[in-house]
Amino acid sequence: MRRVLAVLCVSPFLCAGLVVSRRASADDIGERAKKLHFSSVVLDTHDDTTQRFFTRDYDLGKRNPDGHVDIPRMREGGMNAIFFSIWIDGRIMGPPAVQKALDQIDAVHENVHRYAKDLVFCRTAAEVREAHKQGKIAALIGVEGGHMIGNDIRVLRMFGDLGVRYMTLSHFYNDEWADSSTDKPVHNGLTDFGKDIVREMNRQGIMVDISHVSDKTFYDALETSKAPLIASHSSCRALCNHVRDMSDDMIKALAAKGGVIQINYERSFIDQAYKDASDKLSGGVVAAFDQFKKECGDDQECLGRKMAEQEKRATAEGKLPHVSWERIVDHIDHAVKLVGADHVGLGSDFDGATMPEGMEDCTKLPRITEALMRKGYSDDDIRKILGGNTLRVMEQTEKVSRELQAQ
Amino acid sequence: MLRTFLTAGLCVSAGAFLAAAVTGEDIPARAKKLHFSCIVVDTHDDTTQRFLGGKFDIGERSATGSIDIPRMKEGGLGAIFFSIWIPSKITGPEAVDRAMAQIDAVREQVRKHPKDMTLATTAAEVRGARKQGKIAALIGVEGGHMINANLGVLRSYAALGVRYMTLTHSGNDEWADSSTDKAVHNGLTDFGKDVVREMNRLGVVVDISHVSDKTFYDALEVSKAPLFASHSSCRAICDAARNMTDQMIKDLAAKGGVLQINYHVGFLSQEFRDAEKADPEINKAISAEVTKRCGENEGCQLIEGDRITREYVEQGKLPRVDFSKIIEHIDHAVKVAGVEHVGLGSDFDGANMPYGMEDATKLPKITESLLKKGYSEGDVKKILGENTLRVMTEVERVSRELNSGK
Repeated sequence: MRRVLAVLCVSPFLCAGLVVSRRASADDIGERAKKLHFSSVVLDTHDDTTQRFFTRDYDLGKRNPDGHVDIPRMREGGMNAIFFSIWIDGRIMGPPAVQKALDQIDAVHENVHRYAKDLVFCRTAAEVREAHKQGKIAALIGVEGGHMIGNDIRVLRMFGDLGVRYMTLSHFYNDEWADSSTDKPVHNGLTDFGKDIVREMNRQGIMVDISHVSDKTFYDALETSKAPLIASHSSCRALCNHVRDMSDDMIKALAAKGGVIQINYERSFIDQAYKDASDKLSGGVVAAFDQFKKECGDDQECLGRKMAEQEKRATAEGKLPHVSWERIVDHIDHAVKLVGADHVGLGSDFDGATMPEGMEDCTKLPRITEALMRKGYSDDDIRKILGGNTLRVMEQTEKVSRELQAQ
Repeated sequence: MLRTFLTAGLCVSAGAFLAAAVTGEDIPARAKKLHFSCIVVDTHDDTTQRFLGGKFDIGERSATGSIDIPRMKEGGLGAIFFSIWIPSKITGPEAVDRAMAQIDAVREQVRKHPKDMTLATTAAEVRGARKQGKIAALIGVEGGHMINANLGVLRSYAALGVRYMTLTHSGNDEWADSSTDKAVHNGLTDFGKDVVREMNRLGVVVDISHVSDKTFYDALEVSKAPLFASHSSCRAICDAARNMTDQMIKDLAAKGGVLQINYHVGFLSQEFRDAEKADPEINKAISAEVTKRCGENEGCQLIEGDRITREYVEQGKLPRVDFSKIIEHIDHAVKVAGVEHVGLGSDFDGANMPYGMEDATKLPKITESLLKKGYSEGDVKKILGENTLRVMTEVERVSRELNSGK
């Protein structure tokens, strides 16, 4: 049988796929996937749960009836490393932005402190691996938008010192030094100061995150950075033509420098039919967001509720199509086919986006592992996608930082 | 000779005994040896302001001011609290932003001089730095107004390495009265008490320099850990609101705290104070000259203020204050509260230094003077730094207890 297979296998890629799918017969895939999933570092690079820390009813330590993430559900879904996102509206700038970002960084640290039996704060890949060995959930911090440094490189360094391990160069709006994909370009990508920011991020060991930024900003950052970049929560434009997603060329360029695209599960980023219908309904993601913002002000809980309500209503009325969680796997598979299994990861956008059916919260994550296994992915490749690739970028970023600081 | 001395010694103090026992000749040598074998800790230093201009490099010997690495080494200064300071009138998010920029500036200076300095956040790290032959750099925030009435900001500061916070500066903040402002809170507000409790939990030393007497007593009552006065002197010798009364020093000591003597001439010398008061025009003229030379540059203002004051002294318009006044304050506090409760908090680069204590290179003179006064080597060591390290260790212990009790 082996010999026959070897003859059949002209392409090594095809061959690997065949061997794996043969070995894993339909019945034992479920068990094998479960075992693999729960023995891997499952690292999610983007999660908006931080906003919930400021609401009265939410408790990270308890199972909550709504939202996507809490400790019991992370345990159930095998999600053992999470980047808590620091985010404020992109139109808040200057010292108030810094102050609000600090409040959120503090809230993450305080939650980690409060649930020290389950969570451990991590700054390096080695610390994440150690947390995994100890059976703890690794908590990390990413800042979602360059506007929060108040146009001040010193604040960036402070964020680094406080444990921030990536910064998305912009959010929905341009900041003082970088164009966003969802705003009118004014800087032609990164300004000179923006390039200095990227260099300082390299020096401090903070990963450069190019989700949200304009294509030109992406290419400018890619050229400037000495370390690999990540797209902490973006999907594939080839499957869903959204500016928040990445074109095949961009994904290839990102991968060529060792970077990783972490697939976002937001319906309007993964499904073209949904995106089209959603655009028709609300005029796009920013417009929809602004509308809710008008109704809810700074009340994030209200914002989340409104979004979910509209979603449910519109889907029931047939104004929005159903989107299955399998679209996530389609995006992973597309990116893997394009650049290989070393450059794809998971960036759910849990608690900050509308999840597809079947991925209602983080308890559903093992499905991704199983689906990839059924597609014939090797255990090694699945481990990389689940978290290994992101850890590799972290390690490389740390190495570049050490080199630059030694200079 | 010995017998004669012993007979005579029956009626003199232990101090006199020691002074006589160590003959004049070998004191400087002994003092030098002792000084450079101790960890000398200075709890208050305004050099941070000089980091903000962009030109100042702490690694190079500067012709002005009191502190840089070469002079710290020459003076045997082993651990230094860099003060984070902005004027009391700046509040809100801007205060946080500017304080962060200063914390960053300290950390950047440390990053740029890894062979000479290392950031320390615990007493053990200060000792570790010493073992590696490095200067321990620590951070203190001089004024509660910089947390913008927000415990999250306080926690962020702690996470960035801040190890003490002075509850106010010259003006009241939102939750504590200052000694140099009109009282509005009757000491600490309820929130102010929460700030003190959170400082205990975080292991940040509660610093009661600058605060009103009532704020001091409120903080003393609330705090579970010892407090210190990072840069204050004795009111019994020089009647300034910024100094501490004998009773306050006793009460601070009773809870294990430390008074770190400030070298500012206006806090050391009553005569200097009286002269300033007698002719208010002098201070106005000094301020005008400082503004002329420095504009809004606070680093420059602090350095030039000291220099211009010197010029007035040279012209005979203000009295000359000698560094021995520092010793007088140390000795007074030791007599009031015991040798376990006194330390050094120079206010270098932020105040007017007395003659003979122009910069950090002069610090060995303190050791020599104390030995000459008959202090034991063990006692001198405590004053130079061990007392402050003891408070830090105790504050760390209380922090661990409070955190584990959750």
